[in-house]
Amino acid sequence: MSEQEIQQKGYVHPEALVTTEWVAEHLGDTENVRIVESDEDVLLYDIGHVPNAVKIDWVEDLNDPITRDYVSAERFAELCEEKGISPDTTVVFYGDKNNWWATYALWVFRLFGHENVLVMDGGRVKWEAEGREMTQDVPSFPRASYPVPTRDDSKIRAFMDEVRAHSERGGALVDVRSPGEYSGELLHMPDYPQEGALRGGHIPGAASVPWARAANEDGTFKSAEELRGIYEGEAGLKEGDDVVVYCRIGERSSHTWFVLTYLLGYENVKNYDGSWTEWGNAVRAPIER
Amino acid sequence: MSRQERIAVLIEHARNPRRKWAMQDADVAMPGGSPECGGSVVVYLKGDGDGGVSDLSWTGEGDTIGMGATSIVIERVLHERLSMDAVLDLDYDGFVEDLGRDVIGNRTRNATMGLSTLKSAVRKYLKDQRADAPKERTVA
Repeated sequence: MSEQEIQQKGYVHPEALVTTEWVAEHLGDTENVRIVESDEDVLLYDIGHVPNAVKIDWVEDLNDPITRDYVSAERFAELCEEKGISPDTTVVFYGDKNNWWATYALWVFRLFGHENVLVMDGGRVKWEAEGREMTQDVPSFPRASYPVPTRDDSKIRAFMDEVRAHSERGGALVDVRSPGEYSGELLHMPDYPQEGALRGGHIPGAASVPWARAANEDGTFKSAEELRGIYEGEAGLKEGDDVVVYCRIGERSSHTWFVLTYLLGYENVKNYDGSWTEWGNAVRAPIER
Repeated sequence: MSRQERIAVLIEHARNPRRKWAMQDADVAMPGGSPECGGSVVVYLKGDGDGGVSDLSWTGEGDTIGMGATSIVIERVLHERLSMDAVLDLDYDGFVEDLGRDVIGNRTRNATMGLSTLKSAVRKYLKDQRADAPKERTVA
């Protein structure tokens, strides 16, 4: 698939995606481009990765180890410097599970205001399926300079009080968990231990669109027309809506946040990372089943 | 072993899992998993009725750490012919140390989901066995 084919998929911001072909052509451009692998399965990077890719682990690198929050701005700057990323570096994310964790890492980078962020369409699965080069060599880049940024939680991140007010005034909400979690039959993904929340169900008014519906079999994103059919035709979103997306801890929903923001061009989409593990445990939080 | 060698062991087990099938005549089929996103397993246990494990198998889906570590612990219990009491005595921290703390990092729940599910299967077996045992009668 060429960049032209991404253009033809009708996205509002096609520039947010690059193909595996583009990445293969930019492997050596390490001064300007940093390829970042971010997976659910943390050993995949050790098994083999895109040459010159660095690893960012969503747990160890992006989450605060004590408070349920993301790392401090100081730690984020330190992480970027270690990985040879400066504020001008174009960071290309890819990973397993249809880029689920790649879009989560991208969302956190956007919280810290990093501008040049892209996703490799199709992720790790597509790169491997095309027989492209993989390596176990961990690259080393000159330490970069990354001034401590200011994290802005107001634009793309939602907190519980805000979500509750949004729900009460009938704002658009998308629950991206599995249908069983949405209905309240399950408290976690199917087959997982049913723990993490005391109550099951969904936030009043939320539409159900499991996150992976946005992806094709080969891990690439569906076309804009197909995505509109799902999010607007089925879930009832309308152009101009302010949208809040959520899942269990905010990672699956970062994928949907990416789809709505970059591929369909919604200008005000927030990821509620407290998600069901906060809402489903909160005393007197309204729940619909 | 070096970190790379420990990773290689986990990967080898994840790719060639030992005893990964559903046991039709198991005494206990115990589901379990990591509450994070490491996966889920079902451990199948057959007891010998005398405190020993006569057969074990498992099924599951998940990440390399979760699947590799489950295969390792199942193989170990059978290879070392551990009794049910010995299984219950297996130490989580020690198991993570064996796998390599530098490999597992903070994915300890993923690494121990097979072991914790196995322990749950043993407890269920022992509980069922106690429930099935003839009750002693007291004569007034």
